[in-house]
Parts: sequence; C-alpha cells; structure tokens
Amino acid sequence: MSNWPTETKYIGKSTARIDAPAKLTGQARYSSDIQAEGWLYGMILRSKWPAAKILSVNLDKARQIPGIKAAITVKDGPQTIRFYGEEIAAVAGTSKQACLDALRVIEVQAEVRHEFVVNEDEARKENSPQVWDGTANAPAPHVRETGSVNTAFPECAAVIEGFYSTPVQIHNPMETSGTTASWTAEGLTSWASTQGISSVRDGLAGSLQLEHSKVRVITEYMGGGFGAKFGAGVEGVLAAKLSKEAKAPVRLMLTRFDQALAVGNRPSSFQKIKMGATADGMLHAFEAENYGTAGLGAGGDAGGGGGGADIPMPYLYPVPNTRVKQSNVAINAGSARAFRAPGNPPASFGMESAMDDLAVKLGMDPLDLRLKNDPNEIRQREYKLGAEKFGWKQKYQKPGSSPGVVKTGIGCAGAAWPAGGGTRNTQGEAQINPDGSIEFRLGVQDIGTGTRTVIAVVAAEMLGLKPEQITVRVGDTNFPPGPGSGGSTTCPSISPTVYNICAKALEKLQAQAGIADARGENWFAACKKLGVSPLVVHGQWQQGLSSDHAGGVQFAEVEVDTETGLVTAKKIVAVHDCGLIIDKLTLESQINGGVIMGLGYALYEERVMDDLSGVVLNPNFETYKLPGLADVPEIEVVLINMPERGVIGIGEPATVPTAGAIANAVANAIGVRVCSLPITPAKILAALGKVPPFVTA
Amino acid sequence: MKAFEYATAHSADSARQLVAANGAYLAGGNDLLGLLKEYLVGADRLVNIKSLPGLDKIERSKNFWTIGSLVTIAQIEDDVEIKKVFPGLHEAASEIASQQIRNVATVGGNLAQHSRCWYFRHRDTVCLKKNGDLCYAREGENRYHSLFSGNPCISPMVSSLATTLAALDASAVVLRDGKETRMNMDELYHRAWENPLAHNSLNPGDLILRVEIPTTRSRSAYLQASDKHTFDWALVSCAAAAEVVDGKLQSPRVALGSISPVPHQVEAANRFLDGKILDEVAATQAADMILQNAKPFEHNAYKVPLAHALIRRALLKLKGDA
Repeated sequence: MSNWPTETKYIGKSTARIDAPAKLTGQARYSSDIQAEGWLYGMILRSKWPAAKILSVNLDKARQIPGIKAAITVKDGPQTIRFYGEEIAAVAGTSKQACLDALRVIEVQAEVRHEFVVNEDEARKENSPQVWDGTANAPAPHVRETGSVNTAFPECAAVIEGFYSTPVQIHNPMETSGTTASWTAEGLTSWASTQGISSVRDGLAGSLQLEHSKVRVITEYMGGGFGAKFGAGVEGVLAAKLSKEAKAPVRLMLTRFDQALAVGNRPSSFQKIKMGATADGMLHAFEAENYGTAGLGAGGDAGGGGGGADIPMPYLYPVPNTRVKQSNVAINAGSARAFRAPGNPPASFGMESAMDDLAVKLGMDPLDLRLKNDPNEIRQREYKLGAEKFGWKQKYQKPGSSPGVVKTGIGCAGAAWPAGGGTRNTQGEAQINPDGSIEFRLGVQDIGTGTRTVIAVVAAEMLGLKPEQITVRVGDTNFPPGPGSGGSTTCPSISPTVYNICAKALEKLQAQAGIADARGENWFAACKKLGVSPLVVHGQWQQGLSSDHAGGVQFAEVEVDTETGLVTAKKIVAVHDCGLIIDKLTLESQINGGVIMGLGYALYEERVMDDLSGVVLNPNFETYKLPGLADVPEIEVVLINMPERGVIGIGEPATVPTAGAIANAVANAIGVRVCSLPITPAKILAALGKVPPFVTA
Repeated sequence: MKAFEYATAHSADSARQLVAANGAYLAGGNDLLGLLKEYLVGADRLVNIKSLPGLDKIERSKNFWTIGSLVTIAQIEDDVEIKKVFPGLHEAASEIASQQIRNVATVGGNLAQHSRCWYFRHRDTVCLKKNGDLCYAREGENRYHSLFSGNPCISPMVSSLATTLAALDASAVVLRDGKETRMNMDELYHRAWENPLAHNSLNPGDLILRVEIPTTRSRSAYLQASDKHTFDWALVSCAAAAEVVDGKLQSPRVALGSISPVPHQVEAANRFLDGKILDEVAATQAADMILQNAKPFEHNAYKVPLAHALIRRALLKLKGDA
C-alpha cells in the first residue's frame, strides 16, 4: 500500500535534529522564554481548601500593591470549590514579588466545607462526603460480558486472583503549563506551551467570545506536553483576561507547585483480576473489577480526550469468557487529562502482572504464555526478536530462585496502541524561492519529539536535497492547520502531508521550469527559472502513506536488594514497530523517553494526598520522585522497520509496557509480587514479609 | 518571600550583632531560601556569613580534626585525607543531595537544617511544628517519619552529617551569647526530641563555628537507603565508627538518621559492642538493641527492618578489607 520510496537517503536513517544547535545554544525560544514588549508577570490565587463555597473575593488591596496592573476573579459570582488548588483569582504585575505580595492580600470570604474526600476507597463508601452534591461519587459500574465466566472458571486448570493498583501520576513535563498572552484591539496572541495550537485557539476564542480569526497561537518551542497541554487551560484564559485589563502582555507560567494540582494527571486504577487458563496455557476466563479516580471528574479540559479512569481489559489477550466491571470514582482533587497512552500503562501493568502470576501457577515460562495467547503477529515477532537480544532463555530462572541478598530477575510485557495514524485534515504549504531555498509552513507544533526534523527529512528525501537545506516553520496558527501532537499522530499526519506538498511542488516546478526532473542536482537550476516569483504550493494529508496500531514489547532485568528494598533496573530491551521509520534517531529518542517515563511509573512516581487536610503533599520534585540518570538502566532499542505499513506514531506505545515488565522482573527476582505501583523499598520489604504488622495504640 | 535587609558580616561577633533577634544567617542558602520562599520563616535581615574568616578551613591534628562551618559538602567529599581518616564522613558527604547542591551547601547549614516533613514544608498545613494543634503525620502520611520521638511531632532529623558525626563522637562548637559552647550531636538536637517547635537545640542567634572530630576511631562507615539511587533523602541512614584491634571493636558508636528527631543512638548498644568480635551475630544483637523500642506508625514500619539491615551492614563494613 505504501508509496514511499524504497531506496532512501534519509528516510529510515539517522538524522540529527535540525534544531539541535538552536536548542543547545539557547537560541530556541520556548514559551516560557517569551518576553513580549512591556510584559508583566501573571500569577494565580488558588484555593487552600479542598471544598468550600467562595462568597466574595475582594481584590482592592491586591490592586494597591505597587507594580500590580491587573487583578481579576475566575468567577463573577459565588464559586464552589471542589479541590485543593482550584483557581480563584489572578493578578498581573511588573515583578514576581509584586504578584506574590498581591496574592497574599486578596480577601476571600468563604464557607469552608469540612466534608470532603481525597481517597478512592473512602469516596466509594455509601456515607462518603459527595464531591458533587446529590451525585454518588462512584456510580454503579458498567459491565461488559462475553461468554460465561461462571461456567468457564470451573473448566480452568489454573486460576489466579490478584489486586493490582496504580497511583495517580502527575503531569510534570520539563516546561510547566502556561502562556504569554497579548490582547489588544487587533485581537489576541497567545504564546502557549501547548501540544495543540489549533485547539488552544479554538478554546480561547470560545471562552473569550472572539472570532477565530482574531486569535493567534504561537508555539515556537515547548518543553513537553504528554496530554496535559491541548486546551487553553484556566491559566491561558486568565492570562488573556489579565492582558486585556492591564493593556500589556502577561506571561503566566505555572509553578511546579501549581502543576501538581490543576493541570491534569493520569487516573489511578484498582484492578481486582481473576483469570484462568486451561492446562495447555490458553486463557479461558477473565473477570475483573476496576475503579480509579480521575479527580473531581475526567477531562475537565481534555482536548485530547481520554481522561477517564477506564482501562482496556483484558488488554492484549482475547479471552472467550469475560466479565469486566469498571467505574470512575470522584474525589476532591484536580481532574485527570489524557496522559501518554491513556488507560494503557495501568492496563498493561495489571494484565501483564496477572499473566506472570498465572504462568507461575501453570508452571510455564511467562514468555511462552504470552506467545501462546497473544494473537498479534507483529508482537510475536517482537517477542522472539527481543528474547534473542535480551538472552531470555539463558537468563530466566524460577521466581525467587536467584541466590543471595541482592537478587536478579527478568520480566517482559507487551503494548498496543490502537491510534497512531494520521489526522486527515492536516495541511501545509511550501514556498520555493528562485534562489533554491525552500520553506515549509505547517500549523503543527513540535512537542519536543523532532517534528521539524521529520518534515525536513521527508522533504529532503522527496526533493533530493539535504535536511539542513530545508527551512521548517511550525507552531503558528497563521500557517495551514495541523494536528494536535497527541495520540502518536503527529508523524503519520505530517509525513504524508509533506510528501503531498513535495509531489505537487515538483510537478509545478518542473512544468514551470520546463525540466523533466527538478530533484537533486537540478534543483537550483529549476528554481532559478521561476524568475522573480516564488512558487507557493499547498498540500494536504493523503491516503496510503500511513496507518495505525503500533505494538511493542519490552524486557526488563532488575536487581533487588532484599534487605533495603532498593530496586535497580539494569537493562531494558525495547522492541517496537511503527511502520515506516522516518528518522531513526528521533524515534530512538522517543523510545528512550518512553522507557524512562515508564520507569518512573514503575518505581517512583505517585501523587500523595492527605486525607485530613485534602492537600497534595508532594507538589515538588523533592517528594514527587522522578527517575534521575543514576536510576536509568541501559536501554537497548530494537526496531522493526515496516515500510509497507506506512508511517505510524510511536509516542504512546513506547511507555506502555515498561512498568509491567519491571514489575514482573521484580516478582521474578524476589518470588513474591508487589501488586501496587510504585514499587518502593517499603513495599518490597512488606512483600517479603519483613515488616512488623502495624498495631494501633 | 517577605522583604528583608541584607548585610555581610566580617567577624563572628558582628554576624551575631547583625542577626539580632529576627535575622537569619545565610551561607549556602539551600535550606533558608526554601523556607523563606514558602513563608515558613520570616527574617528581617539576612546576614551573609560567607566572608567570616577561618570558618572555611579543615584543620588536622593528631587527636582531632576541626572542620569549619563554612566548609562545603563538596570539600568534604573531595578531601582525600578525610576519605582515609573518616571514611564514613566522606561517604555521608557524597550521598547528600546533588553535586550542584554539595558545591554550595555548608557543614553549618547541613547541621542546622529544618525538618523536611511534608506537612511542615507545605504552605497550607498548620501542623504542630508550625504552632498548630496536631501532628498530621501521626494519623496521616507518615512513610518518611520517625520511629522514635519524645514529643507528639514525628518529623525526623535528616542530616547525614549529624548522623555520621554522632557516630564519630564529634562536637559542634557554637557561638552562643559571645562564648564558644561545645555540643555533641545529641545535645545539638536534643531540644527537637522534646519540643515539637524545635528543629535542633540552637537558640536564635546561635552560630555554628566548626565541628571537632576526635581521631579515636580509625574505622567509620555511612550507609543510607533511599527510594532512588541518587539525589534523594535517606529513608534511613546509619553511621558506625570504632577502632578495630585484633578483630575486636573498641569505642564503637552507631547512630541513625531519619528515624528520630535526633541522631538515634543507644548507648547500651555501644557498650554491648565494646570489645566484641565484629561479626554478624554481634551486629545483629546490636541492631536488635538499637531498635527495640521503635514505635512504628501505619506507613513507616518498613523502616525497622531497613534500619536493622543498615546497622548490620555499617558495622560489618568497619572490618574493612582486613
């Protein structure tokens, strides 16, 4: 199906990022670097109560602080607060300190509600305080059934039951959410840290009742999004309103503290799984009940969708008899948002843990159990290839049989990502100048994955030029509209679009110049014949150059100190497919990043909330723990290039199986399972039975 | 943060005068700036003490070494002589925070740092340590908290240096009321044992000048267990120091951090170990003694086996290669 060239000079090879020099020298302007003429700092006052009714907000004293140019409230009238950190008011001023001083003198009259709940299990109880008055926190679960689990379980030779749980993971990209907004009579310009300039424009236009044509969103460079940054956000709207009132640009970038509260997270999951197989290892029955919290509600500002707590079960494996119950539990906490492969990392962790537990019960090698039950041919290939590279057969030992205090173990897990295809309405244009220079303009943005480089690689390949000869401009809604960078769709959206633009450009250039083939060495001669008028070519995404559904499997090797509980990830082999590889280097980089994010999910990350005060206790990198370099193992990326499938995205599947693989490796090492993420030393020691029971005084 | 005056002191006495009643000393600033930014302490005046003469020196003599309070953690980590004479101190220094922080963090600041309890550090919880009514951690999220405390606050002392200096039986020399006062590590923190408001025994205006470490114990070791491999606080830390003669311990001392508001030391265990052959059995018995009165809370009982393992390992490490 694929019309991509088979003999390539750049596609499928490694090209360094064309913007690497700009990034390394600090020339690249990130959203948080923007310093518009006369700009002010913006800052948000947040609720210090998890539940309250705001009766009035008096901004007079804030306005009197020297340097303060604007002060606004989020709501005009009374406001109901449903989580700690909810936005109440905002100020703009000439210095950070002026804003901080102003926030401290804003007078808020509130009826503080002492009834609130931040814990999923408490929230599910019948007498729990209600997050939304008159609505149960946990509605009746929805049930999906196939076959009959009741008759199937007795037919199984082995049945396991487990309770696997994953925590709320906070969105913590390197650059926090935020924007610089400038709202003048001509319209609104927002330099947003976003993964969707179009969706931010639509959101701002909608919230502020502006014509779309009067809103321009610019994102030259941004420091990561992962699903949190599709919408304008409360902060984006507040920045615009502050700018209007102050008659000056306002930069409102959130602090790391803010980031922990109100701009999205991955929902928790509590997965009670019962699963059985026949004696030959075929899965036969699967029954699960899962609940999790998306905070006060899923997708308050989803944009990219997928903020709910439901997860795909039984994930990769077809089971003839299933019963799956799922429910979302509301708590007084910031709402969830799409988070790199929504639903999949927790699903992979739960199901792949259950698979290994079942393998133990069946006395089977867990890899064999997967090969037996996973119908996906590509993953079958990946398991076999990965096992070879990893040395699975040589390394595998029975769970807990590793000798000594520090034990080693191995595990594996699989991933699926059903999306990852192209966005049909992607458009772009190229301007070919008589001097032979060429500029591509696409209304897409680079979320950090190397979007400019992908455009340059495809264009260079198609035109017979070098990537560095291609000028790429992205991140501006004045350009033809492009996709949001989410769902692993960017590469399969823009690659066919650039292909289309190049094909049209060559056709026109060749016709105008009267040259049969304008590519490569003929390029400059052909362009010269344009005379004085540049050639501008508009193109769009075209069929047949991309597809979707990437898989992937990962293998993990760990060491576990059974006295200190410290888990050391030694090696990860990540085997992935994403159709036709465009740029191997940026692809490997995405997989490295996915593995490291998965490592954080496996071993370190967890939002901790306090039942009594309702606050997030770890709104910083001191106690919200992220992997550092010393924690990161050797990562070996193994790629399956499948040009016949066209281009598929890789962003999400790369992070899906890591936690499951590490959890299985830990269980293999110590012979017992830590059923809840993150796998901390405390949980390792508890699983080993070393922790004395807690006795209430 | 609140507005403050800034002054640079050129002598310890003038520093003391400048800091007056509501000032704060500024050296590396790692702890102080965080406290100021979160409005956890308010200081009218910051007194820069980085120019105080003589406090940035490591001085060696036969019977004891002195390390000035302005010596950075990186200096300790990088000092080849310290690595030989007080290996435990080198190990403790090298585990502290990150290289960037170690480059500017000082001995004095490390010893005088305030609680890291996440309730204390949170801007919107008014806990016992901030003059509130209750210790949230006791019934709440106490995974990082103490197994021992003499008062209702269970936030632990987390200074790795203090833990090691306790095992080395070192003293801090503190300028108090114009006079030099010597405090061993127990004395330096004792007030935090009994008073929830206290982080240590220092009075306002007290200035740590230096620490003095006796060379009596040629063997020392420091170990910490954390969630992560680097740049993370200890869940539990343990230091041990002794002289080892013919395989027997002399003047052994063991101290633990992150499990008590003070460096946790049990003199009976030190006495028990004195003269013992250093082996697994003795180390295990000592660990039992050191932890026998531990009072875990709902989420920190794991610290008991963890501390037990670290005590054994730290003691056995004193054997060295010999």
